Amino acid sequence: MPFSSLAGTLAPVMAEHSRIALARARARSAKRAIGLLTAVVFGVAFVGAKIHAPGHAKGKSKSLGAPSSFQRAVKRSVAQGGQIAPAVQAPPVSSSTS
Amino acid sequence: MSADLVHRFRAMGCEVAVRGEFRTSPAGVLERWEEAFSLFRPESELSRINASPSRVLRVSRLFSHTLEVALDVAAETDGLVDPTLCGRWTEVAVSGRLLSRPPGLALDLNGVVKALAVDEAADGLDTPGFVSVGGDLAARGPVDVALPARGSIRILEGGLATSGTASRGAHLVDTATGRASATRWELVTASGASCLAADVAAKVGFLLDDDGPDWLDAREIPGRFVARDGEIVENVTWARATEVLQPCT
Repeated sequence: MPFSSLAGTLAPVMAEHSRIALARARARSAKRAIGLLTAVVFGVAFVGAKIHAPGHAKGKSKSLGAPSSFQRAVKRSVAQGGQIAPAVQAPPVSSSTS
Repeated sequence: MSADLVHRFRAMGCEVAVRGEFRTSPAGVLERWEEAFSLFRPESELSRINASPSRVLRVSRLFSHTLEVALDVAAETDGLVDPTLCGRWTEVAVSGRLLSRPPGLALDLNGVVKALAVDEAADGLDTPGFVSVGGDLAARGPVDVALPARGSIRILEGGLATSGTASRGAHLVDTATGRASATRWELVTASGASCLAADVAAKVGFLLDDDGPDWLDAREIPGRFVARDGEIVENVTWARATEVLQPCT
């Protein structure tokens, strides 16, 4: 068979192979993108759940008691005088020993 | 609860008077303190701790904070107001929620508990007002208060407390001797930045006898002393604060 006629027969086949290779390359890229996107979504969801999921104690529970700000204020003022002035009206309460 | 009316009830074995609008019920606050620290309730945390033979105990946060305050007060007053009542407060330690003390050494936190309860109850005030438990008082905003023997005073801010022997006999203990204190004072009233400060100052002023007025003056704490013979002595800080200025003529 003359070379010119062989080339004429192979040309459509090679063109077909080239399109398949391109399609396979596009499919590989799409798979990589989907895999990467899945990993990112999973990571974000994992971290988000760790931070925000209710029902998972993130620290020790605190028992009820006087607020610490109040306790600090009281401790600071153990030896500080109060502010008094002459009375101006009938007192509603008295100070005495109990 | 109306902001202007004075409401009275009993708690912690005392007459309670409150005025103002509260975020948290003062009766509830006082009950919580009594539940934890009453020596007359066998089930109170303090009673159970005193009954325990253990050297180291796990206590509630409220108990550990209160004991810390009591030990701070003991240090501040050189042991005059002592949670062991026998001069052994340095043998007591609290770290976090762990209490360590020699087995058999009983604690009595009455020296600070009532005043702390008054301060916490007053901390719940949303409006000007006051909380008075057995005459120990914390105020938000000005309030006029009748004084022992005679007279009255206006508290501008802080607390006022009276210690002495008038109603309960000699209940203040000289920790050096372990016996009831014998001083020339029958009643001592002091004004502090808080009810706790006022109560501690009144107790120390009472126990220091003749040195009481100067001890309070050195800390700029107003103090008023009623002697057993009826004489009323005001320290310099008290006299200065309550001096009625005469207009120029």
